[in-house]
Amino acid sequence: MFFRKRTALLGFFLMSASSLPQTAVQTESRARAFRLWITAGPGLFWIILFLLIPSAVLLGIGFLSSNDYGSPVMPITSQPFQQVAGFSMLGWDDGNIIIFLRSLEQAGIATVVTALLAYPLVFFIMTRPESVRPLLMLFIVLPSWTNQVVRTYAWLELLGPNAPLTWVAHALHIVPPDLGIAPGSFAVTTGLAYNYLPYMIVPLYASAERLDWTLVEAGRDLYASGFKLFWHTVFPQTIPGLLSGIIFVAIPAFGDYVVPQLLGGDRALMIGSLIANQFTETPDWPYGAALTIIMLVFTAAGLIAFRILSRRLGGSGEATI
Amino acid sequence: MSNVVPRSVRTMLSAISWPVYILLYTPLALVALYSFAPAPNQTGHSLHAYSVLFADGDVGAALRRSLILAFGSAIVSTSLGTLLGYGLCRFRAPNARGIAANLPSLIIYTPIIMPSLVFGISELIFFNFVHSTTGLLNAGLGTMVIAHITFQVPYVALTVFARLAGLDPNLFEASHDLYADGIKSFFYLTVPVVRPAIIGGFLLGITLSIDDFTISFFTSGPGSVTLPIYIYGAIARKGISPEINALGTLMIAVIIVLAVAHFFINRHRERASQLPV
Amino acid sequence: MIKMRILLAGCLLAMGMSSPRIAQAAETPVLNLFIWSSYIDPALITAFEKKYNVKVVETDYASNAEMSAKLKAGGDAQYDVTVPSSYYVPELAAEGLIQPIDHSQVPNYKNLIAKFQNPSYDPGDKYSMPYQTGTTGIVYDPAKIKNPPQSWAALYDPKVNPNFPFVLPKGEGRDQIASACAYLGLGFTCSTKEDWLKAAKLIVATKKRANFAGFVDETPARDQMKSGLIAISTAYNGDIGQCYADGSCKTLKYFLPKEGTEQWVDTMAIPAHAPNPKLALEFINFILDGANGADLSNWNQYASPNQASQSALTGILQTEMFTPSAADEKILYFLPPLEGAQYKLFNSIWTSVLQ
Repeated sequence: MFFRKRTALLGFFLMSASSLPQTAVQTESRARAFRLWITAGPGLFWIILFLLIPSAVLLGIGFLSSNDYGSPVMPITSQPFQQVAGFSMLGWDDGNIIIFLRSLEQAGIATVVTALLAYPLVFFIMTRPESVRPLLMLFIVLPSWTNQVVRTYAWLELLGPNAPLTWVAHALHIVPPDLGIAPGSFAVTTGLAYNYLPYMIVPLYASAERLDWTLVEAGRDLYASGFKLFWHTVFPQTIPGLLSGIIFVAIPAFGDYVVPQLLGGDRALMIGSLIANQFTETPDWPYGAALTIIMLVFTAAGLIAFRILSRRLGGSGEATI
Repeated sequence: MSNVVPRSVRTMLSAISWPVYILLYTPLALVALYSFAPAPNQTGHSLHAYSVLFADGDVGAALRRSLILAFGSAIVSTSLGTLLGYGLCRFRAPNARGIAANLPSLIIYTPIIMPSLVFGISELIFFNFVHSTTGLLNAGLGTMVIAHITFQVPYVALTVFARLAGLDPNLFEASHDLYADGIKSFFYLTVPVVRPAIIGGFLLGITLSIDDFTISFFTSGPGSVTLPIYIYGAIARKGISPEINALGTLMIAVIIVLAVAHFFINRHRERASQLPV
Repeated sequence: MIKMRILLAGCLLAMGMSSPRIAQAAETPVLNLFIWSSYIDPALITAFEKKYNVKVVETDYASNAEMSAKLKAGGDAQYDVTVPSSYYVPELAAEGLIQPIDHSQVPNYKNLIAKFQNPSYDPGDKYSMPYQTGTTGIVYDPAKIKNPPQSWAALYDPKVNPNFPFVLPKGEGRDQIASACAYLGLGFTCSTKEDWLKAAKLIVATKKRANFAGFVDETPARDQMKSGLIAISTAYNGDIGQCYADGSCKTLKYFLPKEGTEQWVDTMAIPAHAPNPKLALEFINFILDGANGADLSNWNQYASPNQASQSALTGILQTEMFTPSAADEKILYFLPPLEGAQYKLFNSIWTSVLQ
């Protein structure tokens, strides 16, 4: 009974997702909706059942009070959302706004750096013989199969006070003599690029690999410089991959706090650590839930704006899910 | 196709890419170096850490669970995600606008957006509830597989979608005429076309699963300790020991050897099959 | 509809996979142990399994906070014994996540050293029994930091260490605020809002120093000390004792700051809805046995809270680093318990420090 209701509901909104045209095309449209239901249904159903419903329950506590130990209790209150706005037992401060902007900046840095690195790498792989390409792709993701703390700690050593790269920085007076490059903002950027590069490269490669080279040939006479040729013939074809890559990198980097903690010297909280702390070290579950709700709303709004923008970029079809 | 790219650009691509590959493996080289730390109260390099590692049965069990979890969840999520990406690209009515049109997309994004702690705790509460009311979904490797599938699906779906988006829709129409049957057309046309995306999505799925700590920790049950859970705990207690470094080194080394061996065997076979002609 | 059924069958299959324990439980009783990774000698587990004809299933965690969150979200019905640090005991007890221990079932309780029999964090050991213990001191590299005062000033006074990188512990902020209070002369066990705010101010100022290298917990910080990434940090005596013993940190020096420092304790507790609380009591009693306690400490290389184990401790555990002198005892404190509104206030202050 429960399942049937759910699937009916799911069917309904998937149908409504496809705008229903008039009589003549209606059967065609219905067949299309059915196919959509068969293919996209299971995946969406899975996410709804195993993430949306469970998290709705947990996030619901964002509207409850918290007891002294940070557990949710009645009555219903807006207190957690006031805390999100910056009001605490110690008065108001702009801490949360700064944390939000700081995390946004981090997401931006990670996205730009990985995209700049990913393009040459993807085209490098594409110009290799077809048999070698899977191997080169595997070697991109492989480092991420080791433990994140272990490999990030290795970076801490590679950029530490006794590392060759740091001696160069010492000689150039970029870094004070007894300190290392890590912890610092350069180290954080390195760590972010290292962590998120595979997530930019995989979708970009998947979409660029089927590149239509005839367009490039045709454009050769039109565009004088190599960059213009790339920009007008190659780049538009990679947009769907780039957009998926941006989502894979920007959103997790927005919430990431392991890298800034280990390589940044942990001087400042990130939105990810602020939320995590509310469920662990300094428990206040309703506040944590309220923070998550606000973050979800902002990210969803950002993604819708991103979709509208990508539709413009992608021409007729949808360029991203 | 690639002959379109001029030699000078190729040289530039190589000049950028090889250093990036080297940088990707520099931290791992350091990890490997530390794994050959001397045995207690001795100097020089040794295989001490490896012998400790092999003697520890817990690590082997954790590794086995991690592999089951990673491959099990990635296989299911790749199937679900491929269908999802394909369906939304092919069958969603074009030019649909409004909330309803964005809703499936927003659902797909939630596993990426959701903070992992909220994700894990939500699922723990949910699984506990289902277990106490129905007796199903007892916390353990099974619940971990379910959770891991959930966070991998969007990565596969978006990768597959990126591959399909921008493809000439006429290609599908033509195949429809050819095969008539939608399922046949899916397997004979779509799957070969999106293969690189399916493989890529599968690799991302494994990558996400094999090093996931938070969600695994909360959805695990008694005894279902995976490698990340073991390693994070061990680091908290003993620091990054030579044994932990040895474990990382061994894993990467084994995969590299397997992949390279597979590559050469394949090439050998292809050549052998071409020769008689 | 057929597709739906296939999917449903798939779900059920996945559910079935996850319950292998049910069949097993019918045969031999199971003790579910929720503990830090590699924090118990496997030989002790085998001995316990043999003695009581049971099976021990070990599950690992990496921090008190995660363990506590898991218990809160329903994990308190999954495990029989958990190993929280002392300052987590009042919180877990107040939240009803652990149950009182029936002392009549733990005759070996009398083996404990007197000061662990009525600790401030859990009067009368109502909810917890000590597992391992130790002290928190300061470790430094004498090549970089010359003759620092035996005081928290080594960390908090910029004049003692103006140049070299240093770290403060991470966690819940309890030991940081306490140590900052001690340095400011407010006492290690400070517990008023005014004192905490003063300590918080000091930590914020410390965080802004150019050579501050982050909040890093004691054990990972020791790794950073060993590879020369940092020059001074807080440390557990057990961690430093271990690397003295295996020769990997012979040049480092360790001391207890004179203003007062922590006597840390990891304890054993029984989650509120433990499936097998009777077996949990037997396990706790088993660990508190003199010989078993000694085996545990010799394996872990941490000090034992057990009087009956002291004579059987070996190696570094007999050195003065592990057996505090009478003078040392005077500056050792348990972290003060935080109860009710105090707890919430402390967390607000600590969050503002981290920002």
